This record gives sequence, C-alpha cells and structure tokens, in this order.
Amino acid sequence: MELERDETIERVAQTLAVLPPRDAQAVSRVMTAVHAHKAQRPSRLTLVMEWMRQPSFSVASAGALAAAALVLGFFSRGAFGNAGSDQSARSTLEGQPTGEFPIPAGAVLPASNSHEVRALPVSLVFDARNATSVVVVGDFNGWDDSKTPMVRYGKDGPWTATVLAKPGRHVYAFLVDGTTLVADPRAPRTKDLDYGGDASVLMVTPP
Amino acid sequence: MNFMRRCSTAAALVVAVASTAAAQQQDVRLTLIRDDATREVVRQQLGGALSRGVPMEPLMAKALEGVAKRASTKSIKAAMARLEENWHRAAKALAPNPTDDELSAGADALQQKVPESALRSLRKLAPGRSIALEIGVLTQLVARNVEPGQASKMVLELMARKATGTQLTALSSAVQEDVEAGLAPAMALDLRGRGIMSLLPPPSAVSTLNPRSTPRP
Amino acid sequence: MTEIDPSVPIRAQRGDEQAFLEIVEFYYPRCLRFARNMMGNEQDAEEAVQDAFVRVHDSFPRFREDARFDPWLFRILANRCRTLLARAKRHRELIEYGEVPLAIASAASPIELEEEFGADWAEEVRIGLETLPAEQREAFLLRHVEDLSYEDIAVITGAGLSALRMRVKRACDTLRIRLTEVERRNGT
Repeated sequence: MELERDETIERVAQTLAVLPPRDAQAVSRVMTAVHAHKAQRPSRLTLVMEWMRQPSFSVASAGALAAAALVLGFFSRGAFGNAGSDQSARSTLEGQPTGEFPIPAGAVLPASNSHEVRALPVSLVFDARNATSVVVVGDFNGWDDSKTPMVRYGKDGPWTATVLAKPGRHVYAFLVDGTTLVADPRAPRTKDLDYGGDASVLMVTPP
Repeated sequence: MNFMRRCSTAAALVVAVASTAAAQQQDVRLTLIRDDATREVVRQQLGGALSRGVPMEPLMAKALEGVAKRASTKSIKAAMARLEENWHRAAKALAPNPTDDELSAGADALQQKVPESALRSLRKLAPGRSIALEIGVLTQLVARNVEPGQASKMVLELMARKATGTQLTALSSAVQEDVEAGLAPAMALDLRGRGIMSLLPPPSAVSTLNPRSTPRP
Repeated sequence: MTEIDPSVPIRAQRGDEQAFLEIVEFYYPRCLRFARNMMGNEQDAEEAVQDAFVRVHDSFPRFREDARFDPWLFRILANRCRTLLARAKRHRELIEYGEVPLAIASAASPIELEEEFGADWAEEVRIGLETLPAEQREAFLLRHVEDLSYEDIAVITGAGLSALRMRVKRACDTLRIRLTEVERRNGT
C-alpha cells in the first residue's frame, strides 16, 4: 500500500468506490444517443464529395496526392461494403429538407422551461355487468395485463380505473375476464396496422 | 481490517441486490409471454434491437400488445421489426436529441404514413420542447383518413400560430366526431382548423424569434 | 480492477455493434461512478458518460487494436468531465451571490452510504471531494477509487508522473485533515 493510503484515505476510497447498480434504461439511452449521433454525421462519401466540389485553385501536387490517398483509403476501408451501418448515413446525402412543409420565417417556438413532460391521471370507465374482472392494457402501461386492474363501482356499476398517461395519443383496450380484448365504446377508434382489428384511442390534453 | 471488510461486503451486497432486481424485472416481463416459441423470438428481437440503439420498453410493449391480441409469433416478430425501423426513421427526422416519448409518437406517426418531412418540420418549429403531443394529434388525424399532407400543413400552421395543446387535441376530437357523423375528412379538418385559427392571433402578430432558439436540456 | 475481454473492443473497432453494446453494459457503472465523483451531481454525470460513449463510438476507427481499452476510455471520459466542469464553473460565475449551490451526490444512493457509513461521514466525504481543485480530484479518483496505475493516469490526463504524484498527495493531505476530525467526532 502507498504511504499516502492510510486508514482515513482507505475509508474515503471505500466510500467513493461503491458502484451504481446496472441500469438497463441508462444503457439504452446511451445506445439511442450513439445511433442518433451516427445518423446525423455525414458519411465519408459525403465528406469526399463535399471536398471534391470545392473549387480547386492552384492544386499543388502534394494536395492532389493527399486527395488520392484519401479516396484510396476510403475504398480500402471497405466503406462501400458497410452497407448496413451506412444506410442512415447514405440518406444524409439527401440533406435535411423540410421541403413540402416549410415553416414560416422566424416562427420558431420558444423552448420549454421544464425538463420533462409529466404523465397525467386519466379516468377510464367501462360498462361490463357480467364481467368478473377487467384490466386496462395500453401503450401507457406497456400492454402489461398485471398493471391496471379495474375496480367495480358499487355492486353492479361500471368498472373504473385511473391510468397515468403523458399528453398525446395513446392506444388501449380492456381485457375482460382475462381472455377477451374489447375496445372502449366511448373512445375514438383507429385501425391496428400491426395486428388487425380496431384499437381505442385516448388523446390526453395537457393541463 | 474488520472495518474495511465490512465496507467491501456492504458495497458488494448493494451492487448484487440492485443487479438482481434489474435483471429480475426484465425477466418478469418476458415471462408474461407464456408461449415458449414466441418468448424466444421476442427475446432475440429485443437483444438485436438494443445493440442497434432502440430501447427495450417500446419493443416489449409491442410484443405484449400482440400477445394480448392473440397474434401469431410471426406477426409479433414483424410488428417489432417494423417498430424498430420506424424508430430509427423517427430518430433521424426528430434529431437532435429526441425524447423517448417523441420517438414513440414519431414511430407511430410514420406507421400511419405521416411524412418524415412533416416530422422534421415539427422539430424545426419547436426545437426546444417536447412535440410528442403535436405528433400524436397529427397521427390521429391521418388515422381518421385526413390526407397526410393536408393534416401536416394544418397542424404546422396551428403550431406556428401558437395554438395550445388543448386546442390541438380539441381539433382532433372534433374532426373525429365530424367524420363519424359523415363529413368528408378534408372538409372536417378545414372547418375545425379554421375555427381554431380564428381564435389565434394573426400571423403578423406572432413574435418573430431568433431561429437559434435555446437548446433543449 | 477487471478489464473487459480484449477481443470485445477489437470487434467493436471493426464495426460490431453488439460488441459496442457489451462495452457500454460493462463499463457504464464504473464510468458513472467516476463521473458522479468528479461532477458532484447526477445530471451532469449522466451527460458526461453519455457524451463519452458517443465519442468512443465515433473514435473507434482510430483505436489501435494493440492498445489497452481502459485508459483510452477513461481519457475520453475524463476529458468530457473537464469540459463540463469548466462549463458549470462559467455558469456558476453568473449566478448571483446567495443562490443555493448545486447539490452534491455521492457514488451510491445517500441511504446506502449513510446506513453503512453514517450520514455525517458520507456528507463530509462528498464536501471534501468537492473542495478539491478539479485536477487533484481527478488524480485522486483515478488513483484511489478507479485503482489505475500512475502510468495509466498519465495517459489519461496527459500530465507527467511527478506532477500526478504531487496532485494525489495534496488531495490526500486535504482530505485527511478534513476527515480525521470527522472520524474523531464519530469515535471511529
């Protein structure tokens, strides 16, 4: 042990050395950031093409050789072979058009002060007199049928539950008696493009 | 020394308990899928997608939605793959730094055939705050058969005129009711959209901000 | 300190995204620990770690397969922490006198530390670390918490060996003065 690492320093080190637990969500956020960054970065092809578009004035032989080396290096790295990873990069060759939906000049909206949009409580009501159990499933609870059981109002009343959902569009349904998925008759419908049939839509309004 | 041994044990215990808890939470969701073949396919899709930068939550939810709807393993796999593809497209259109809510909303929008360029414009119009709500409104209009270009232009114009979230969701509900009552979607949108616009300050009164708005936290 | 299997960074360097994911999963807790101890708050720490991994991914084509991965990763992470600390310092300089200072977080949840170590001790360690100049804090953490050799720390920080030893010594002296008193008070 180093002379400087006496009992006090050892204790400090132990205090600071506690590792945070593994966090799948945090890892997920990192991967999303990495891939978002990658999608914005111009590919080497773009950089070379941008360079070649520059007006060349007195191109010194050294400069020409350097350009040739760049292109050769580009080919030898097999960049054209990396089709999978460069798909997103290739589309950046098209630039960043807003094209058919231009926004009015100077109309950029101000940033929000709050860092996070909060989920809001929303009450759902469902009439199913003969049901023995009803559960809400939807994108706001990950379609997990263990999360939001409904409660009967009185002996024969409707089933109710409160879900937390952020402002915006949500899709959901009711699972009756653990077997039958039923759309909400009170809610707007939308076609389920993945699994067929209809789905119920909940539009949550901000306060 | 006893004290140092205690410190190490405590630290190791904290890490072990927390890691087990996180792993168990992940396992529990997969065990909601009772069919072995489906569960295995979902596990593989999740693993591959994570390495490609898509978070597990929305994909897991898509899989469980399929399970709740008694979809085939093949349908569930296809739905997860489609979601992943739309997620990546949404990430590009909503760059830089979209939130997970925006990405979920964007992926849904793209699936409903909202144009990517419309999402890019929404982002450009509001670079500094969440636009998940606006994307959701646009998605619902298109889902109710309003032509995507028309719906996009209307939502963008209302946003630029500073329509509130409440006004935008009211637009969506009103168009919905009109269409169910038999009105053509295009007409319903035009009518209801103009109605809201009449309540908003005219374009010349909208303050022109420096396009370089504050970066989002 | 365990390092990841050397084959994983090599696969990542060649474009294997699954290998990159394995790297993130393996190193995230350690990176977050270092960043939390350097930055003093959770939000900045997470930002530093995320930025660092983005840069690692970007820079992988330049990673030499015969090099060790840990010092390379920590060099990128330490750079991000320094940059964000400088930014935070500029921001703090704009805050008027009397505003509440930034909250200080420790490497583990306060409850875990306080139950084991006592609330007083954990808080004093946090404050002690915060009062160190950034260079000394960085050197101390890399040496005594991340357990890296002085040679590795030299690669990470770009500083010379004797300068690093001096920084670590000064950090230890400062912490010892502060915390010996706390230990005496707590009767440990």
